[in-house]
Order: sequence, then structure tokens, then C-alpha cells
Amino acid sequence: MPQTGYIIIAIAIIVALVILFTVSFVVYIKTPAPKGCERGKGPNCENCEVASCRFYADAERRAAKKLEEESSKKGNE
Amino acid sequence: MDQKPSKARIFLDPLFKANPLFVMVLGTCPALAVTTSFESAIGMGLLFTFVVFCSNLIISLLRKVIPDEVRTPCYIVVIATFVTVVKILSSTFLPELYNSLGVFVSLLVVNCIVLGRAEAFASQNTVVDSMLDGLGNGIGYTWAIAAIALVREVVGAGTLTLGKVFTFIPKVTLPILSGYSGSDFSMAIPLFKSSAGGFLVLGFALAIIAAVNNYKDKKAKEKARAAKAAAAAAAKGGNQ
Amino acid sequence: MSYVVSFILAIVSYMVIDNVILSRYFGICSFIGVGNKVKSAVGMGLAVTFVTMMAALVCWPIYTFILVPANMGYMDTIVFILVIASLVQMVGFFIKKKSISLYKTLGIYLPLITTNCAVLGVVQNNTAYDFGRSMANALGTSLGFVLVIFLFACIRVRLEGANLPKAFKGVPIALIVAGIMAIVFMGLGGIIDLGSWGLI
Repeated sequence: MPQTGYIIIAIAIIVALVILFTVSFVVYIKTPAPKGCERGKGPNCENCEVASCRFYADAERRAAKKLEEESSKKGNE
Repeated sequence: MDQKPSKARIFLDPLFKANPLFVMVLGTCPALAVTTSFESAIGMGLLFTFVVFCSNLIISLLRKVIPDEVRTPCYIVVIATFVTVVKILSSTFLPELYNSLGVFVSLLVVNCIVLGRAEAFASQNTVVDSMLDGLGNGIGYTWAIAAIALVREVVGAGTLTLGKVFTFIPKVTLPILSGYSGSDFSMAIPLFKSSAGGFLVLGFALAIIAAVNNYKDKKAKEKARAAKAAAAAAAKGGNQ
Repeated sequence: MSYVVSFILAIVSYMVIDNVILSRYFGICSFIGVGNKVKSAVGMGLAVTFVTMMAALVCWPIYTFILVPANMGYMDTIVFILVIASLVQMVGFFIKKKSISLYKTLGIYLPLITTNCAVLGVVQNNTAYDFGRSMANALGTSLGFVLVIFLFACIRVRLEGANLPKAFKGVPIALIVAGIMAIVFMGLGGIIDLGSWGLI
């Protein structure tokens, strides 16, 4: 049945692309930024207000997590 | 840590106080592109609501399964899947709507609001909360673009046409700023239908909202000052 | 010869007459967000140009030679966004590894570009065109993006010192400036008739 073949090809393409994207994403995130342009410290970052920027979402998330951990630590003490 | 917001707040906040378009200024591309017609704007809002609701639902269901490292690829895949579903559904059942929205149905994938809600809300909250948040954001965005479209269509064309995109309702054209069909009278300003009109209407809408907020802040400050003065006077009176 | 001329005319047409931001409304988020420093605006614009060209080069063959023959035209959006996203990450990886100066000018903006409507919008539009026209569309559109974002940054530098009503500060005045720019660009409409060059 040709229909089944097409569906399998479609699923294969999607899976391959998702794997490709995930691998490249992880590789990109794991690579450290060159010295002097770390996250949020770049010369251009201060003036940029792009609300959809994942840098900011990420930075805010991390900051919130850190705060939470610290507060829970304090609570335990 | 501050208290968790109630369910009603989660749903109602994105409608007015944290409206994705008017307050957060997100999702401006479709808000300008599809707002030449009131009906297309409503249709866009409905499709948007569906996508943000479903993606919030799935992402909050999977929030403990998705590793933190690869969450963005996962979100993009989930959102793109629902956009494809919406594309197929709308092109089958509402082809007029699909044609009038054009490429902007596909561009829902990169809509800042959908990805932003997934990242900021659905990935950290329970399923019910995320569903409410998605619904609230969808409805908030829908009424915002519908309001802009209403102004643009009425001022730009002088008439309000219903039934052109949603073919299941009878087609009517309401003459608001123009005469009934046959007469030449029209007070329409065609600029509002062009791209420049979209920028101007959204700019003025945001300015009006900012002005209202400024006024409210000023009132609140004055009230607080008056209350403080009254309290100080009362304390003085008590001492004497 | 006439092919080259029509290619150039198509680029100019996509760049100024049918401008991405001012008449096609792609990429307004980054347009409003980035533009009050000329340097970052140009960096953003160049990054968008680079990614749009790459994406158009890769996605057009994928759509025409894989998706259409396999009867899977409905999968275009999901395939395009995945291809663009992987492309962005790979380019970002190479830039991070190889060149600090390139990272400073372009690399910072790369993660923003996955979610830029301009890239996906151009690629999605290209599905209806042949290869030459889709390349012209990609190049013209991204050059138009650079042009407008640069002009806009220059205007916003001036706006910072302007004595505005308080309510208009920030995004509202930016949108109104964009509206006036759109009116100006509308005046250029019709100087190139693509139909007479056999391009439509």
C-alpha cells in the first residue's frame, strides 16, 4: 500500500529532524561562550528589549530557581 | 515566596491586567496583519486560542518528563504539531478564513505568546492552571485584535461586513460611516486599511492604555498621601 | 541579461516596495525590541539576513524535491521550523567555536532568530515561487529588514531626547514612527512593475 509508505516516510522525516534539532541544540548550549560575551553580559544585551528572547526567559528562570533554593535552605536551617 | 494566584486570577489576569497584546506588547505581527477585517481577526483569535490552549495542556502534562536541557526543542515540536492541525482543520472547514489569513496561520509557530506561555507558565504549573492560563491568554488576545480590527475596518472601509469569512452566517454589510448601498456618501479613511493605519491604531491604543495607567497610578499615590496625612493628623490629635 | 536585470529588480521590489516590516508585518517583535542602538540593530539585521538566506537555500529544495513528490505538502510548517531551528543552532555553534568577533556581532542575536517571523514567513512564501524568485525574495526581504531596522534605530536615538507626552514614551511612539515610515514607503509603490518583467 503506497499510503502506508508515505506515512512512514513522513514520520521518519519528522523524527530525524527532531533528533537533528535536539542534538544541535544541546551541542550549542553546551559550548561555552567566548570570553567576554557570556550570557546577559554582552555589550549589546543591555539595550535590547526583545521580549521573546530566550536568553531572558532562561536567565529569569535560573534566577528564580536559585532564589527558591536559597530560601528553602534558609528554611531548613 | 508570594502566594500562588487563585484559579480565577490565572484566567482573568490575561484578559485585562496582563493582556498579551495591550500590556505585554507580544504577538504584534498577526495583530497588525490580519486586522483589516473584523471577522478575520476573530477567526485568527479562535485559531490562536486553540493553539495556545492545546500546547499549554500538553506541555504541562509533559513538564516532568521533558528534560530541562532540551525543553525548547520539545516546545517547538508540540506547538508546530498543533499549528499543523489548525492549518489542516481551517483549510478544510473554513477555507475562506484560511485564505484570508494566509501565511499567518503558519506563523503561529513563532508567535511570541505561545512559546512564552509554554516557557513561563505551562512548564511550571499544574495542568488545570495551564489550561486556564491558555484559555485566558487566547481570549485576551482575541478581544484585543478584534478591537483593533473593528476600528480599522469601520474607519478604513466605512462599513462592517459580516459573513464573508464565516460563511455559515448570512452575509450582511453594515454601513456605519458611509451611506447605504447606492449612495456615494462615505466618511471612510482608506489609510486605516493600509499597513500604516495598523501601526497608527496600535500605537494610539497603547498610548491610551498607558495614559489610563498613569492616571490610575497618580490617583493611587494621591490617595495614599492623603491617607498618610490623615493618619499623621489623627496621631497628632491623639497625642494632644 | 534580462534575467539578471529582473532578478535585481525583484530584489529591489521586495526590499523597499513590499518591505517586510512595513508592509508585510514580519518581524515586528524584534523590530520594536532591538531598535534603540544602531550597532545592535545592524547586528540583528545581519544575523537575520544570514539565517534567511541559509534557510531559503535549504528549505526550498526540501519542499520541492522531498515534500511535494511524497505528497506531504501539509507538513511544510513543522519541517521548516525544525530545519530553521537546527540551522540556527549549528551556525551558532560554529560561530561560538571559531570566532569571537563574529560572535560579538552576530552570535548574540542568533537564538532570537528562531522565533523571528521574517525567516519562517519568507520560507513559507517561497513554496509558491521558483528557485530564482525565492532567492530574490530571501535576499530582498532580508536587505529590507536591515534597511528599516537601521533607519528606525537612527530615529529612535533622536527620540530619546525628545520631549514626548508621558503616555507615548516607549513602544507607542515607536509604532507611530513605524506608521509614518510605512506611509513614506507607500509612496514608492509602483515604481517597479514586476508584471512587465514577467515576474508575477
